[in-house]
Amino acid sequence: MSSVARGKLWGEKYRGLGTGPLTTEPYISEEYFALERDRVFRRSWLNVGRVEEIPNPGDYFVREIAICNASVLIVRGSDSIVRGFHNVCSHRGNTLVLDERGSCPGKVYCHFHNWVYSDTGELIRVPDEENFFDLDKREHGLTPVNTDIWEGFIFVHLDPEPEETLRDYLDGVADRLDGCPFHMMNLFQAYRVEERANWKIGLDAQNELYHLPFLHRQTLGDTFATNDTAKSRFKNVEFYRRHSAWEGGFRRFHKLTPLKVALFVSRDDTPTFGVPQVTEGMVHFNLFPNTVIVLFKVGKSTSCITHNFWPVAVDRTVWETRIHFRPAATIGERFQQEYFKCLIRETLQEDIAGHESVYAGVASRAKPHIVLQDDEVTIRHFRKVLDDCVDEARFV
Amino acid sequence: MSEALLPEMFKELEPFTNWALEPERARTEEREASSMAEVRAFYDAMMPRFDEILDHLQSYFGADMPAPAHRLYLMSLSLVEVAILVELYKQRETVIACDPLRYELRL
Repeated sequence: MSSVARGKLWGEKYRGLGTGPLTTEPYISEEYFALERDRVFRRSWLNVGRVEEIPNPGDYFVREIAICNASVLIVRGSDSIVRGFHNVCSHRGNTLVLDERGSCPGKVYCHFHNWVYSDTGELIRVPDEENFFDLDKREHGLTPVNTDIWEGFIFVHLDPEPEETLRDYLDGVADRLDGCPFHMMNLFQAYRVEERANWKIGLDAQNELYHLPFLHRQTLGDTFATNDTAKSRFKNVEFYRRHSAWEGGFRRFHKLTPLKVALFVSRDDTPTFGVPQVTEGMVHFNLFPNTVIVLFKVGKSTSCITHNFWPVAVDRTVWETRIHFRPAATIGERFQQEYFKCLIRETLQEDIAGHESVYAGVASRAKPHIVLQDDEVTIRHFRKVLDDCVDEARFV
Repeated sequence: MSEALLPEMFKELEPFTNWALEPERARTEEREASSMAEVRAFYDAMMPRFDEILDHLQSYFGADMPAPAHRLYLMSLSLVEVAILVELYKQRETVIACDPLRYELRL
């Protein structure tokens, strides 16, 4: 069936989302940003990393959640349990751990007055303790941050009493991804870049296929096109309360260049590695508010890419991308992975230029609205969820 | 006599050992610092030998490589690093993307 003749599938399937234009104000408004802080980022489960980053007792990393002015210390205690704490000393509020990641077997020291905490958060030593007034160390441990793990992904919730558990929060996304062998795919490379754009500009681009043959005309071309006219449309879209999942097909390698022929055609020594969640092409899971998990199946192997968009200011975002592959079984597979990594990095560089030019255009306030086509329904859904959280009629 | 830079059968690639770099960022920096003619010369020398190189490196895969093979391995990673520029973009003028050195890399 030609996709040209296809009706507007998603508009009909998801009638409640409407088909009209969206206002641009949420991308550029300081007030909307402040509401996102209080009503979204302080009230959502946020993915901060994976358990493989802290394999041993005492291993830790620090996650700055700039929009909330929060610094969260994630540490695997000597009892092997992963916990999250506000990275703040109980004495006079100093930032406790200054390194982004490391290992603190047994103890965490504050560099200001050398207060010492266990790796499970208890205050265990205070220099010149007798000079304090009735100091009960049991009342001055690190302040916990609600932390939970799903399929190896570590999440925190900044509200001391979250409305729901992580599993309930993830809803149908967790059902679909339960048992996915993420632990078999190792971190191959992680990229971090600060871009001059609102965090939703980047996220929106991860929420559609429409731009792939155009913005990435030289790098991806019609790799994920639906047909020979290079239109790219979803194979499927599902919404799970706040979250979305969409699938795109793999059409062919864009330009079978000498390197691609050498890696993907001439050599056929890569053992198959599949996961049930993706047959061919890609599945994007957009976890509200700021995390994307992508499973790719191209050729014989499956890979996993994750994105986290961390708002810093209304016009500044830290975008982190992590690329995961299973350990290569042959030298050919090792170089296939290198190729995918470089290609992905190249497309991210195109995306960053794209995000910044979109943001500049939107911030000019020349256009009060953006218009969306049927296969941008995922952006529409995200905005609806966000607007519902922000709950201010003046922005809709 | 000094040790050979590359395995004997790949001796002709010795003029390009400046591309035997790690980690990833060093290879990207070399690409960015090289002229398009230099990038192309490296690609044109490596690409016709790439199948043989992979066959050669497969025998060391998963084990410690001797220095000449390791150098060849890193040069091959650089080949992948430059291939997208040479094969897809073809010239720097057609790249609409941010500076690759803006990234912070974990590994």
